[in-house]
Amino acid sequence: MTELRRLLDESDNATEKALLHAGRSYRSGRETRAKTLAALGIASSTAVVVASGSASASLPFKLTGAKLLIAVSAVGAVSLAPVAYRSFYKSHGTPPAVTAPAARSAPVHVAAPVVTAPPVVEAPANSSVVTADQRPPARPAARVAEPVSLAQELAALDAARATMARGDSQGALLLLDGYAKTCPQGRLRLEAELLRIDALAKSGQTQAAKKRAEAFLRHHPGSVLAARARSYTETRGALDD
Amino acid sequence: MPRLFLVDSSGSGQPPAADEASQAAVEGVGEEAADMPPDDSARPSGNAARDGRLRGLVDGYIDFVARVLRNAGTPQADIDDEVQRTFIIAARRLDDVRPGSEKSFLLQTALNVAAHARRTIARRREVASEHAPDTFDARATPEQLTDQKRVRHLLDQILDQMGSDLRTVFVLYEFEEMNMAEIAEVLRIPSGTVASRLRRARAEFRARVGMIDGLSKAERDQ
Repeated sequence: MTELRRLLDESDNATEKALLHAGRSYRSGRETRAKTLAALGIASSTAVVVASGSASASLPFKLTGAKLLIAVSAVGAVSLAPVAYRSFYKSHGTPPAVTAPAARSAPVHVAAPVVTAPPVVEAPANSSVVTADQRPPARPAARVAEPVSLAQELAALDAARATMARGDSQGALLLLDGYAKTCPQGRLRLEAELLRIDALAKSGQTQAAKKRAEAFLRHHPGSVLAARARSYTETRGALDD
Repeated sequence: MPRLFLVDSSGSGQPPAADEASQAAVEGVGEEAADMPPDDSARPSGNAARDGRLRGLVDGYIDFVARVLRNAGTPQADIDDEVQRTFIIAARRLDDVRPGSEKSFLLQTALNVAAHARRTIARRREVASEHAPDTFDARATPEQLTDQKRVRHLLDQILDQMGSDLRTVFVLYEFEEMNMAEIAEVLRIPSGTVASRLRRARAEFRARVGMIDGLSKAERDQ
């Protein structure tokens, strides 16, 4: 079969060339990649380094450029990301600096997560652990912080996902609370909601997971994530992997 | 651009397994919710090897998938969703995709996702019948053509008027630089059909570009 030269190579018409170049040079945006990875439930290759500095005591964690330095490593080093987050979140003070090595190839260790939290449908009123579904709806923060970058959003979800992969669903829920508070209009908020539903289901709160999944479907019936939400609307026990 | 299409490592000449997998996967693309198992591969706790393969697909082919979707008629506003949809389907069918056939699988999936998106848009237009069909805006001066958005808009209009059969062949040959045999295999049509569609598509493309140039010149001469 005779192969023809490509029009872009043979054309001497400027309009043709401009149009053909536009077709050939189209690229996806960074946000598209981030959303796709989030939709697939894959952590990004982003390492989170917690810098020293005072943290706000009023938030589980605060996602601002001053507090978190997002370093993109050549190979994924996300297994340390949750360590950094949890360290930050637990201390509420001056966390130690965590430096992520660049040579980790396995992003998240996911061997047999053990859910240690007992099934909690309704926490007692005086419980110190407030589960995500019992919190009041997230309100925009009174003080609007500096805009959160997509990389920071992604790192926050990565941390929650990695925490959950280790079997700590409650920890993941708290990280997601922090995300919701810091990024009420986050670009990855639908992905975060799916993650929350999954975390609720894995921590034994299947009814809460179901309820949120139904709400998700009501509000976002056409979302590409609707299929995943729908899987939680069926009556089932805790989901195992 | 690397030529990675349709590498059949078995050398059997059989269509890659990805073909069937892609076809089966996209048949229900509009209803993926119904048949998506709750513990599918898109769940956060999949195994590391699987996640690694998926990440490799995203890193290696996301531009390719986005470009195919866009050039096959997916509006810019829907690109994020449709890219996600393509990779979610890929994740669901990952075990059926033979190593080496990933790009071919993603291409077929993206083409089907784009076709589905086009049908959805067409239905939307039917419902909103008060909207006149896109008219061809040929008032492009060379200066305006330096504006990337405007160039892209013009390209969309030209491709939209082409008809999907011609458009697909044109896009794969001119933008993805696939050869005719590769296109014939991925679209499952005879090579002669690819050649004739390409010929007609090029003629249409050049005629419309000529119209743009002619109208622009007339406008400048006024």
